[in-house]
This record gives sequence, C-alpha cells and structure tokens, in this order.
Amino acid sequence: MEYILEVFLDDYRLSKIKGTPVEDKIEAVFGGELKVLRVKIGEELKDAILKAFETARIDSRSCITDTPVAFKRALFEEIANQKTLDESVVKAVLDRIDEIKEMAAKEAEYLPPPEID
Amino acid sequence: MSELYFNRPMPHGGRLVERVLTNKKAAKKIVDFCEKVGAVYEIKPTLHYKRGVPVRNVYREIMSICYGFFSPVEGSMTSKELELVLSKRRLLSGWVFPYPLLFDISKEDYESLKAKGIGEGDRLLLKLKGKPFAILDIEEIYEIDPAELADRTFGTPEQNPEVVREKFDDKHPGWVIYRSHQPIILAGKYTIINEPVFKEPFNRFWLPPRKCRELLDEKGWRTAIAHQTRNVPHVGHEMLMKNAAYTGDVEPCHGILVNAIIGVKRRGDYPDEAILEAHEAVHKYGYIKPERHVVSFCLWDMRYGNPLESLLHGIIRQNMGCTHHMFGRDHAAVGEYYDKFATQILWLKGIPSYGFDKPPTEVEGGLQIRPQNMREFWYCPVCKEMAYSENCGHTKEKQKLSGSLIRGLVAEGVQPPAIIMRPEVFKTVVKWWKTLGYPFVNERYVERKEKELEVDVPDLD
Ligand SMILES: [Zn+2]
Repeated sequence: MEYILEVFLDDYRLSKIKGTPVEDKIEAVFGGELKVLRVKIGEELKDAILKAFETARIDSRSCITDTPVAFKRALFEEIANQKTLDESVVKAVLDRIDEIKEMAAKEAEYLPPPEID
Repeated sequence: MSELYFNRPMPHGGRLVERVLTNKKAAKKIVDFCEKVGAVYEIKPTLHYKRGVPVRNVYREIMSICYGFFSPVEGSMTSKELELVLSKRRLLSGWVFPYPLLFDISKEDYESLKAKGIGEGDRLLLKLKGKPFAILDIEEIYEIDPAELADRTFGTPEQNPEVVREKFDDKHPGWVIYRSHQPIILAGKYTIINEPVFKEPFNRFWLPPRKCRELLDEKGWRTAIAHQTRNVPHVGHEMLMKNAAYTGDVEPCHGILVNAIIGVKRRGDYPDEAILEAHEAVHKYGYIKPERHVVSFCLWDMRYGNPLESLLHGIIRQNMGCTHHMFGRDHAAVGEYYDKFATQILWLKGIPSYGFDKPPTEVEGGLQIRPQNMREFWYCPVCKEMAYSENCGHTKEKQKLSGSLIRGLVAEGVQPPAIIMRPEVFKTVVKWWKTLGYPFVNERYVERKEKELEVDVPDLD
C-alpha cells in the first residue's frame, strides 16, 4: 500500500523550490487555496515513521499525520536540497532522526505562534 | 397545520432535576453540622490507575447531575441501579441511562469516615478546593471491582458483536476512567449547597437546562437541533450544522444549540477556551446568524463510548430542550474499538446487546429527541463546494477534510484556507495559542487545568 506525506507550502517555501523540477509537482487543493507537495512512500518507511514518532497516525486519506513540526521542516529541507519527491528524501530525513527527535521534544512544550493580529 | 409542529420534548424522566440550595443560611447550618461531626470529604481528582495523571473529577458529574443535565439521575448510583445500568442501560425508574455515575472513595478514606461513625443514613459534606460545595446523603455503601466495572461499562466484541470491534484496554480513555475508580462507592443523592462560579470564558457559555429552556422560549425556537463538539469548528463542521438544521418540522430548525463537552483533555485536543470561543466566532462573524446559533457546554469527562456516549448526549440535549440531535460518523469515538457507524446503528435500528432491541426513541423509558444521522462533508473541486458525501458523485476527485490535516497546518503556523477554516476561527486558536504558549493540549495544560478546574468556589459567608 502507498502512504502519503503532505508538505504544505507557504510563500517562503514556494520561493525555495521556484524553478526546480519539484515546482511542477505542486498540487493545489481546496479550490486552489492550499498548495501541497505529496511524497509517496511504501510500508517500510511508513513503519519507520510510526515507530519514530508516537503521535504519528494514518488518517482516512492514507496520509501520515500528526508528525512533529521538526520532521515536516526537515522533510521540506530535503526536498529543496534534492529537488525531488522520491522516497530518498524521507530516507535522508530518517538519517537525521536524533536531531529531529531532540527538536520534537521541545515542541511538546512550546510552538511559536504565527504573527497574525 | 399545528399538528405537524414538533413540540419541545419533556425532560428525560418527565421532570428536570434541580438540586441546588441557594439559601445561604440553610447551607451554613448544614456545613456547621457536618463539620461538627466530622462528616467532611475533600473531592480528589481520579488518577490514572497506572500513570497517576488526572483522568476525571467527580465534581463535574455532581454539577451536571444537580443542574439537571443528566435528569432524571439525582446522585451516585446504588448497587441495584448500577447493576441495571450495566446490564440493560436502565435506571431503577425504568428510564434509559448509558453509564454508571458513582461517588468512589479509597478504602483508607472509607476507614477514616467509618472511624468517625459516618455510614449509611448519614450526610457527608463534599468540599471542592477546600470550600464547602455539595452534600451527599449516603443511602448505601458498597464495594466494586474497578476492572470489572470498566469492562462491563463498555462491553466486549463477544458480548456486543453488533458494534464492538476490539477489546477495550488502557489505550481507551473512558475505560481508563472506570478502571481508575476507587473501590468503595457511596451511593445517594447530591445537593449543591454553595454554587461554584465559572471563570472566563466559561461563564459566558454556562447554560443549565432550565435556563436553556427559558432562552429557547425567549428566542422563539420551537425546534432546535443540538450539535455535539469537543473541537474547534472547521468548515466541515459548519456545513454539518447548517445542513443538518434543514430538518425540522414544517420549516428548518429554528436554532442550532452547540453544546461542548468540557472535562479532562487528551493531548492533541484544542484547549477548552479555544473550542468555546471558536464556536462563538461562527455566529459573531455571521457564518450562522446569532439569532439561530447558541454556544453552551456541559461538564463531563468524556468516556468516548461512541453509541453509549451518543445516548448521554441525547439525554443532555433533550433536557436542554432540543427537538433534534445531529450524529455523525465516529461519534465521540477514539481508536477502532467501535464500528464507525455504531452510533447511527443504535439510533436507526437499536443495539440489542446494550438493551435496545429498537432505537432509543422507541423503547419504553426512551428518549424523545429526534436523531438526525449525517454522513460527511468534503470539498469537491468539480462541484466547487463543500459537498455532502451522499450527494456528490465525484468520489475520485473529492478532497476530505480531516481534523488532523488542519492540526498539521496549525502546528506549522500555516493559516488554513478560508474554505476549510474561517479566518476568525483560526484567529481564536492563535489567541489562545499566544495565551497558553501552545496551540493544543499538552501535559502542562492538563496538569494546570485539573488543579485549577473551570470554577472557583466562593466563601459561604
Ligand atoms: Zn462533486
């Protein structure tokens, strides 16, 4: 079975992948209002993610959700680096798992609120 | 024409329970007497039987009983009544009720009460946060086995094959609540003798059944549909509310009563303050006119019993005066313990193994509130709207909204598009994020909340 990791794109992230092959893979959902990249992975990587993060779960759309923000941030960094949506980006993120877990632990205490009034 | 109108249902059991003593002088006399004989007990939170974290506070049950949300229940159940609730989901009076409601204390606390000569037939003063709060007139004292209580409350795949899919265990928060009960039960009626005062923002949304029924009269709502929530509303919820409300009698329901369940939280939930104010934002910013939309809450540490929970929800909102109740898929569910549509099975056909060979509105002692069983809403890029799953035929193109999708956006600080979450609702989430330092419930929030609770208890004099 195929599982999906969604990476949402705000303006900053959009600018980071502008002009790369990844740009063509951007999907627009919810009437074009939300831009997203979808990394598709198999059982093995799905299991590795669920094992690494106890909060992670699979929703009704086969998406892996509730992973730490640090994981999503690292995933985007790898996509921007490798300029691809292949499974290799997830493998690269899992290679940095200790660093991500450390940041994720801090996230359970504090997440910076967005700057809106 | 008028015979087509739906009338406001009677309270469950025929009479609204109100057990609140407002005469301070009388209350003071009771307190003095109880203190003199040492019949005093300080309410303690129920702690997780393994992990020691708070999972329940019985004060919430006492409030909901004494203000009539749980009518006709008047107190902590006797052993006979408990047995009937567990085997048939009926009270001794024959009225339907899904869950045990018990005042449980430890053996040590029981020994120390016994040493002071306190037993059956005596009156016990219950203190909350060190102040007099309520009394319990002890009718019976008996012992339970919490593990058995937990299993029998929810059932098993063998005994309840219609809807139970997995054996309940310590990953289920409702099972944990009953498993964590203390073994000695003091059964008897509660009376609040010193009304707690709700803190901001809870005070704005406190609407006990009698007040609620008065408000419905004032607003001229002949029909009202209840919406159960423990979530910040996304547009899928808003669509569910608006569309479910098209049912009614000869015209759509006159109003929508949002009733949030407020109690012990789970990690990853939104804070209670954000939930209430976010629902308020729906009418404050005109997505549903305030004339047709009221936000309220009921104190209850959710048991996540899906069909059983839906019965309690029906009882609460019938007591509040609603003619209809909307039920969606996975109603009050967690994990895969129940069939996704267990609640709808109960309200459409009944669940014999739980004591319902017919729907709860058709059995003797049953409810009068009408269920409105709804499927789901998704965004359809072809229909270009938030479409109802049973209407929209574009099942390949559909874009499902999930709470976890939105939580993911929120956590990353990405504002969800207005088509899935209203900007004012998101602003409310951010407001409480800034206040509490975190957008969701974490351990710190649970700890602080269970220590401070939703109320302050005033001095009696
Ligand atoms: Zn469609």
